[in-house]
Amino acid sequence: MSHQRYPSIDPKEPHSVSLKVLRLSRPSLVVQHPLIAPLSAPSDHATPIPASLAYTATSDTNPDSFLLTPILNLPPSFGSAYIGETFSCTLCANHEVTPSIESLSATTPSTPKSPQLTPAQPPPKKKFTRDVRIEAEMKTPGSSAVQKLPLLPADPAPPGGSPGGVGTDLDPGQTLQKIVNFDLKEEGNHVLAVTVSYYEATETSGRTRTFRKLYQFICKGSLIVRTKVGALPAAAGGGGGGAVSGEGKNGEGRGEGRRWVMEAQLENCSEDVMQLERVGLDLEQGLRYRDCNWDVSGSSKPVLHPGEVEQCCFVVEEVADKGSLVVEDGRIAFGVLGIGWRGEMGNKGFLSTGKLGTRA
Amino acid sequence: MQFTDIFRSLASRPRSSTKGPLDVDDAPLASPLSPQTNRLSASQHASPRISTPQARSPSRPTAAAPPSSSSDAPLTSKDFSFLLKPEIYHQISPLSIPAPFRTPSRQPAPETPIPDLLSSGHFRAAAIAAVQALTSSPVSATTAAAHPPADPTDHARIFELLYTRLACLCLIDAVPLAAQEAKALEDLNSAFYLDPLSGAHLVPWELRTLAVRLQTIGFGDPRGAVMSYYELAREARAEIAKAGRAHDHSAAEVWKRRLAELGVKVTGALVEMDDLASAAEHLASLPEKGGGRLATSRALLWLHLGDVEAATRCVRDGQAGETGARVVGALADMADGEYVAALGKWQALQAEMEQNGVRDEMVGVNLAVCLLYTGQMPEGRDILEGLAEAGLTSHTLLFNLTTMYELCTERAKGLKVKLAERVADMQPSAQGWEKTNGDFKL
Repeated sequence: MSHQRYPSIDPKEPHSVSLKVLRLSRPSLVVQHPLIAPLSAPSDHATPIPASLAYTATSDTNPDSFLLTPILNLPPSFGSAYIGETFSCTLCANHEVTPSIESLSATTPSTPKSPQLTPAQPPPKKKFTRDVRIEAEMKTPGSSAVQKLPLLPADPAPPGGSPGGVGTDLDPGQTLQKIVNFDLKEEGNHVLAVTVSYYEATETSGRTRTFRKLYQFICKGSLIVRTKVGALPAAAGGGGGGAVSGEGKNGEGRGEGRRWVMEAQLENCSEDVMQLERVGLDLEQGLRYRDCNWDVSGSSKPVLHPGEVEQCCFVVEEVADKGSLVVEDGRIAFGVLGIGWRGEMGNKGFLSTGKLGTRA
Repeated sequence: MQFTDIFRSLASRPRSSTKGPLDVDDAPLASPLSPQTNRLSASQHASPRISTPQARSPSRPTAAAPPSSSSDAPLTSKDFSFLLKPEIYHQISPLSIPAPFRTPSRQPAPETPIPDLLSSGHFRAAAIAAVQALTSSPVSATTAAAHPPADPTDHARIFELLYTRLACLCLIDAVPLAAQEAKALEDLNSAFYLDPLSGAHLVPWELRTLAVRLQTIGFGDPRGAVMSYYELAREARAEIAKAGRAHDHSAAEVWKRRLAELGVKVTGALVEMDDLASAAEHLASLPEKGGGRLATSRALLWLHLGDVEAATRCVRDGQAGETGARVVGALADMADGEYVAALGKWQALQAEMEQNGVRDEMVGVNLAVCLLYTGQMPEGRDILEGLAEAGLTSHTLLFNLTTMYELCTERAKGLKVKLAERVADMQPSAQGWEKTNGDFKL
């Protein structure tokens, strides 16, 4: 995530508050490679040398001959952002303890509150950082307007019920931490804009200061979905009668029990392994479907490596007593296909297709 | 892996800076971390590269595989001098170590015996000392006495030193170097490595299993690891049967343990190949040896893959013990993004362990991670600082703590350096003392 810093309103004096961010992808399980201690007696070979294990414990939580361990590492880098995932990021506004502030205020009259400084150096004027607020917005490629993002945990509500939260006062070295979550739905350039404002007060005066930082990242597609609809012979007992082959050939056959087979090819176009969790249709009225996939066959959920494809299949049926089908522009609208998956350490992804259907 | 491959890899790797024996730069005592340069260069001069006689090379399966060639070999004098060539071994740069650890007063004396270096966690020094003995290139008379040169026919000592070298490189995060050096062993399945009389393998088991992993990396052949572990497993099965026939229960137990470990190692190799579905299937096929470790392993693998349901299923009904199930439960909440729920679980677990006098770095670290994810980083940072203060210094703890430093100030470097100083001040232990710059994100 590249970022740039807007020049502050008063470029001469550095800000006493800094902003630091970290993308909060899922933390990852740490790996270990257990080793037998060098130069040890064969009788000691049953347990690995502690230094080769991921962590120290007197408990038995570490399955210590295995590669994966339960201890968690914070995300080491930004990684890739994919459509369907929730982008989480923590924003930290820090009241910096800086030598530059001391030197800047070194010329100001002394106050009796700084006994730790040597008499030769005039004690700095005490500065307070009050009412620190963080605001975040996301600019997505598809819209010209920015979206304001809710921050967690929410600021405490001001007394009297007026809108907006109250800011936080920060002592030197203290941090105000917020977390943003944003569902990624578009491919392309995203810009997370973070504005920090605070009231910088000395004992005699004060001013509100603001700065803004932009973090840009690219969101990529995670899944390519291809669908195909073919007509099936109507279910036994239905009004449709004879076999119908090909797509949409049944023309005016408005009898009940029309059936179609809908196939979907899901291709993992990300760089990560994903496990499909749920693939299902969200159908318009008058339709129902039968799932013909792993749940039905009792197989395990498909794991897709980058570039791999999973073929899914559904039988869509007309239910006569549930009202007439939605027909738009000569097409029977089926509804949308929703696909949920999980990535490393449970990272969730979900996307749904546009409206699917077939010629009426 | 042919001899030519080895040769090519040696030729292609960047040469270490070479100095002649007269470029004295003789400050090995003043800077005990840099004399490796001198050692290597001196020995290169003393024993110029000799091409290993082809007949002795284990690299040619055609020559080594038929029984005829191995029976020709003299009984006691197998020559392993091809493992003693200085050009096999790399210099370990001290530049990747933070300054507080490089202080001479904190470093062990060059004549410290290798077992002492190991027990005090000076793994880099042990790796260097092992090579001094292997390549007969001590820096001084005292180090020569401490690490006497290995005789080319003394295979037991050569393999012991080589294992020490490779294991220590792994422990100091120099796996890529170890992977290059392990190539020198070439084909460990070759008959050259068998005792001509008994047919027993001359290389200790731990070196053989470590070499599988390292050669896999060194030769860039991840699938090879699975095959090699299966080769070893076949041998282990044969040994179990043999020990059973001889009513040697202790030997049978040793081989059974090794076989079980190989099963787990195959899973690990599959995970490293990112073939997680196969890894899960393989792990499910292994028999539980008690203690619930395999159940925990299975759950962790499913969590890694992202299948929270399957992970939870693995620890149901006490299969992983009560604590194991609670750990997996808290991790499962995190995998579901339910960080607040997970936080409560980690806190409860920590309180209980504290009450029962159980120490577990993982619970504290994961609790701190959870605090960061729930917007309470300062508390998380305090927990990690407390753990570090108590002498816990895993890579993960230091990495997470320095990440939090980076979040809470623009001037994290000072905090990182201070942390490095505090860790360097700790009493060296077998747990490992010296850290790398990477540990502190320096």
